[in-house]
Amino acid sequence: MNLEKLLYEAYGYTDFRPGQKQVIEQVLAGRDVLALLPTGMGKSLCYQLPGKVLPGAIVIVSPLLSLMQDQVTQLKKMGEKSVIAINSFMKPEDRERAWNTLGNYKFIFVAPEMLVQPYVLGKLKSLGISLLVADEAHCISQWGFDFRPDYLRIAEVLPKLGNPQTLALTATATDKVTDEIKRYLKLSDPFVYSHPMDRKNISYDIRKFDNDSDKLEELLNLVSTYAGPGIIYAGTRRKSQELAERILALGIRAAFYHGGMEQQDRIFVQQQFANKELEWVCATNAFGMGVHIPDIRHVIHFQLPSSIEGYVQEVGRAGRDSLPSLATLLYAAGDERLVESLIMDDLPERHEIELIYERGEEAKQLIEQGMMRETAYRIISYWRERLPLEGTLNQIEQLKKEKQRQAASVRGLVHSSGCIRQYISMSFDQENPAIPPNCCSFHGIDHSLFKGSRSEPKASPQGSWKERLKVLLPI
Amino acid sequence: MRFDEVVLAIMKAVDGQRTVSSPYHLIKGKKSGQTIQDIGYFGLHPYFAVLPKLDKQEYLASIDRLQAQGYLIPDDTSVQLHRSAFDLEIPPTLLNGWKYRGNENRFFARLSLVVQTMSNFMQGQKRFDPVVTDETVQAWAKAYLKRVDFRSSAVQETFKNQLETSLAMAKTTETHKDILVERLSGYGVGGLTWDQLAMQHGVLPIDVKIAAVEAMHAWLDVLEGMEYPLLAGMLEGIIQQSALTESAKRTQNLSERGFSLKQIAELRQLKTSTIEDHFVEMAMNDPAFSSAPFMDEQLFQSIHHISKELKTMRLRDIKERLPEASYFQIRLALAMRGGVT
Repeated sequence: MNLEKLLYEAYGYTDFRPGQKQVIEQVLAGRDVLALLPTGMGKSLCYQLPGKVLPGAIVIVSPLLSLMQDQVTQLKKMGEKSVIAINSFMKPEDRERAWNTLGNYKFIFVAPEMLVQPYVLGKLKSLGISLLVADEAHCISQWGFDFRPDYLRIAEVLPKLGNPQTLALTATATDKVTDEIKRYLKLSDPFVYSHPMDRKNISYDIRKFDNDSDKLEELLNLVSTYAGPGIIYAGTRRKSQELAERILALGIRAAFYHGGMEQQDRIFVQQQFANKELEWVCATNAFGMGVHIPDIRHVIHFQLPSSIEGYVQEVGRAGRDSLPSLATLLYAAGDERLVESLIMDDLPERHEIELIYERGEEAKQLIEQGMMRETAYRIISYWRERLPLEGTLNQIEQLKKEKQRQAASVRGLVHSSGCIRQYISMSFDQENPAIPPNCCSFHGIDHSLFKGSRSEPKASPQGSWKERLKVLLPI
Repeated sequence: MRFDEVVLAIMKAVDGQRTVSSPYHLIKGKKSGQTIQDIGYFGLHPYFAVLPKLDKQEYLASIDRLQAQGYLIPDDTSVQLHRSAFDLEIPPTLLNGWKYRGNENRFFARLSLVVQTMSNFMQGQKRFDPVVTDETVQAWAKAYLKRVDFRSSAVQETFKNQLETSLAMAKTTETHKDILVERLSGYGVGGLTWDQLAMQHGVLPIDVKIAAVEAMHAWLDVLEGMEYPLLAGMLEGIIQQSALTESAKRTQNLSERGFSLKQIAELRQLKTSTIEDHFVEMAMNDPAFSSAPFMDEQLFQSIHHISKELKTMRLRDIKERLPEASYFQIRLALAMRGGVT
């Protein structure tokens, strides 16, 4: 089969991006595949194109609702009409309709928690699945930075679906995580494609300060002298808001973005950013998914990331156009304390674990009363079905150790005196990368590359509503 | 109208008779018997369901401001306004919540997608990320666009003209219209967030939200006149034909067919108290509603007489003086006064 021809006929592209072709070939040859492709490398094409050839349905399990929605939007944008997403947030009548017409769809996105329902399983089984795709497969590993217990359920339903051919996709995974993915998804003799994690066009800069006010001053200096478009990861919602206000006060176009905003406002910020109406977005880690902007020039971390994996994912949003881009990490003495307390806050505590074991489903009410966190509830109620109390306490203890290891590894990033690029690769068990020009602050960066070229962002239409209408509908 | 003024306007009406959280339920559009009934008692139709997504924290922030300004006296049991609150002039409202019930947001979501689509197509862009992700709205917009033949430049021009002329006709301020149109997106232009709008207009985010609702209500009044068919086409299912809630409507149908209150409760497998709520709702909305099946004329008059004498709408106070009347009878009689306070 001529894959290039297929690609052109289906989507109008003439070339594959690195890795895509190898992965697709193996999928079409009927093998289980585990593909590690950096974000923005066109992971979804790896199942889209096989969908054009394989006879049955492609079922994509996706851990995040927002991610699922975004993928559906992107697929539709590429002209793919036979797409549907099924999740627990659908209105019952919509879901009903979806189930009854499921056979009409080629690409079916399913949330992991839906998969375990016998009814859902039966429906999917009757369809004839050609390929099961586990997207963001690293979420299956409890050693990953993004563990979602619901995701383990995929492993449980695989036999019930007749062990279909599986494609596991992820952007970030250490060897340990890769092993777990293979084991849980029962990938038999899989073809593993691992794209080098290293992004040569990104220069890594770390700047350290004695106190917060110096760090803030440096940020304001950076946004005034360096080119956007850029993302500033702020750590907390409140901080993202504060930073945006400070930058706006300098007359530089910026906005904040976090998960506490209503969805319409979040879409507005994404669109303004994509339209170049904004130069900087100050955000929590909620920002990134659904942002398809090739020319982000600068990602600034105003707060330490909570893991190297998360850091690489966030930094990886820069320079998808392969042009030189900068990643700046700003650190003030004591920053790690905040991060470590945030990480530990996420973990269920002993009393929460005991409460859930005692009360089961009823413990859910404690969330509303503010006596229990939802993440804690989710994780623990998963283990409760599988392990005795002691076992779960042990699990959580292990998890805590792992989180501490991740935090230590972030500390190492800041404090080790060596090449930043090599440090990152090492964290992913990858081979030492070659040192490109402008590698990192250890090897030296020519900052004039990123300075001065500051382009004035496009002004948004100002003035009365009639004038805005003229801009919106120029006829 | 600022959000705090909305809260104050409601509080002025219910002063001393309802809890501090009752305006919150009203603004959110809670469909409980109590809330629905209060709308009639106190003439609060404009404010019902104007912000269905109102966050409790945002409401409490308003309470804090009103207390800090001395308009509201902290009290656990009921709204206690200071005299200064009554001296404060609150401009007449443009809101018409009882009629639109939050459905204006569905209208605006449709409009946003249609404007975005036309804007992109006019400028040669056929692929874009939709500004509204709700699939029901997307499907609606798709069908609408196809039906009106949106690719024709004549249609595009008419659409734009109708949009501009009808909005110009809306009886609201230019600032209100600015805020509403700033929420629209198009080719290369993103809508503005509430925070951005608040900063631009020097008010609170919650104030621009209210302003947008006011603008929509004023605009919808114009569009309902059907002189702008392309835009009126977007009103499908937006304007409630009956003022009653869905459930009350079903009760009304059965009542018209001659079933008694008890029979309706049995038929519908609902509590009698729920059906009573429906009758109160009907009494409020239907000028021809008769109280005869539920009480004699004399009792009806006594209830009104006592309510006037004590200057109260509190059921308990009235019941104390008229123990022979049931709470339901009192509510029904008061509701029939229909908020003419």
